[in-house]
Amino acid sequence: MASHRLGETGLSDSGPSNPHVPYAVFHGSNVPTSFINQEGSAFDFGELEEAIVLQGVKIRNDEAKAPLFTGRPAATLEMFPSWPMRFQTTPRGSSKSGGESTDSGSAVNTFSSKAEVQMESESPISKNASSSDHQAFDHQKHLQLQQQQIQQEMANDRSRTGPSQNQSAVKAPQEKRKGGGSTSEKQLDAKTLRRLAQNREAARKSRLRKKAYVQQLESSRMKLTQIEQDLQRARAQGLFLGGCGGAGGNLSSGAAIFDMEYARWLEDDHRLMAELRTGLHAHLSDGDLRLIVEGYISHYDEIFRLKGVAAKSDVFHVITGLWLTPAERCFLWIGGFRPSDLIKMLIGQLDPLTEQQLVGIYRLQQSTQQAEEALSQGQEQLQQSLIETIAAAGPVIDGMQQMAIALAKLSNLESFVRQADNLRQQTLHQLCHVLTIRQAARCFLVIGEYYGRLRALSSLWASRPRESLMSEDHHNSCQPTATDHLQIVHQSTVHNHFSTF
Amino acid sequence: MHYQTESWGSYMPTRSANMGDPLERIERLASENAVVIFSMSTCCMCHAIKRLFCGMGVNPTVHELDEDPRGKDMERALMRLLGNSSAVPVVFIGGKLVGAMDRVMASHINGSLVPLLKEAGALWL
Repeated sequence: MASHRLGETGLSDSGPSNPHVPYAVFHGSNVPTSFINQEGSAFDFGELEEAIVLQGVKIRNDEAKAPLFTGRPAATLEMFPSWPMRFQTTPRGSSKSGGESTDSGSAVNTFSSKAEVQMESESPISKNASSSDHQAFDHQKHLQLQQQQIQQEMANDRSRTGPSQNQSAVKAPQEKRKGGGSTSEKQLDAKTLRRLAQNREAARKSRLRKKAYVQQLESSRMKLTQIEQDLQRARAQGLFLGGCGGAGGNLSSGAAIFDMEYARWLEDDHRLMAELRTGLHAHLSDGDLRLIVEGYISHYDEIFRLKGVAAKSDVFHVITGLWLTPAERCFLWIGGFRPSDLIKMLIGQLDPLTEQQLVGIYRLQQSTQQAEEALSQGQEQLQQSLIETIAAAGPVIDGMQQMAIALAKLSNLESFVRQADNLRQQTLHQLCHVLTIRQAARCFLVIGEYYGRLRALSSLWASRPRESLMSEDHHNSCQPTATDHLQIVHQSTVHNHFSTF
Repeated sequence: MHYQTESWGSYMPTRSANMGDPLERIERLASENAVVIFSMSTCCMCHAIKRLFCGMGVNPTVHELDEDPRGKDMERALMRLLGNSSAVPVVFIGGKLVGAMDRVMASHINGSLVPLLKEAGALWL
């Protein structure tokens, strides 16, 4: 908008040859600027009125009527004292024809041609004016020329200059009018000043509105392109998996698929546990129970296989345990449960055990601990090496090389997840070897119930009353709450679990 | 356990004694000590397997293939042997192939590793 302003002032400096719309007359107000910038938006007669008021002219909305001129002094002339006084002979006929040569489809044109007619009719009057009015006359001619130029411009861009033409057309007769009065006196009374200020304000507001609207459009456009890109990427990855897609926009397709499969696995888990429970209570034969137990083992084999597939496509998702509940995630070890923790938890639950079985269980505990330690140390070394590689990725060319090295190292994460899952799988299989079938059935039931409670703990924790956190006596007030929760959980569990961990 | 041997008859017979069959070399190195690990200094899984044996009180002999002039050949031979995408780590106990990390861990969990180590004289308790 400022540029338009400059255009206007430039106009006054450069003279009549300036092709810009001669709103220099309205230099002090914002109205013409808003006209120029409306660019085809609805022509606002109200703004035109305000513009004309500046000239001391009242214009009715009825376009057929001629504008009334109240002979205001050359307040507008005063605004452009630097206008050149070059007198240019412009045949009035040409200007009139210029007006008619443009598309006369708009009321604006009709108005302007009417104004021109009036201008023409007024010209003899101005010609008869005193010599002091030469200035006004010159201005009038100046305006006529400019009007002609505007009309020519209108032929190219009607919407843009339509209002302007109108204004200029209106201006010329107004100038003429002023020709009759004094040209150098400013007679702006309070009312006019207020009106002027209001017009400025209105114009400024409309400019701001338009600016805000444009900004809104811009940001929506950017958002739209962003969404389109995301959509394309997601389609390429086949993310549209029916009901699952809503699990957060930043899941990779491998992760989303795995989350879905894990949810299904949990449902199967409940079903199988129910089978185990009924099997145990029904005192099935060992053969029948074995079938159920073996079914449960393959159920666990299945999730390890799925995790392996998921780790290939999105190792970070698996290794950070995003698919687990928060409480489970708390005890995460390389993308899953820690086998030695499981053994520790089970030891109290599997009574009675024979001597041999006890030895077997303790050996299993020891070997899992050693294997866990070895894998943990290996992973630590991987992390250390990654830290060094990423830290060394300084300058761009070397940096890219270092990043490639880091990527290669990151791919080792997948093998660690695989080995950890392998360890878990072997632990469960070995448990079945050490225990009898009934014991194994009970063992799996205990494991399933344990993780069920851990998952329940996550929801309980999430929904715990928060006021306890805000009270002053934090210690006293939150304790009962925690105990309440523990009591609820205690009823369905053996409290060993929590003391161990 | 035994591993397949390849016939290199069509290969250069004029090679010096040192440029022998990489598998032969592997076999020879594996039988020199009770516990032999073929590894690479940069491999983190190899580091894990070394920690595993050390944690059990075993002192394995480690051959870093990236520090051996014939390491590349041996690496390829090991890959063919195991059918794995990665050649290392590979563990031999008592000259016999045990396998890569997953086999070693599985045998440790199911209790077969310790007797194997004792038999090879790597463990005494």
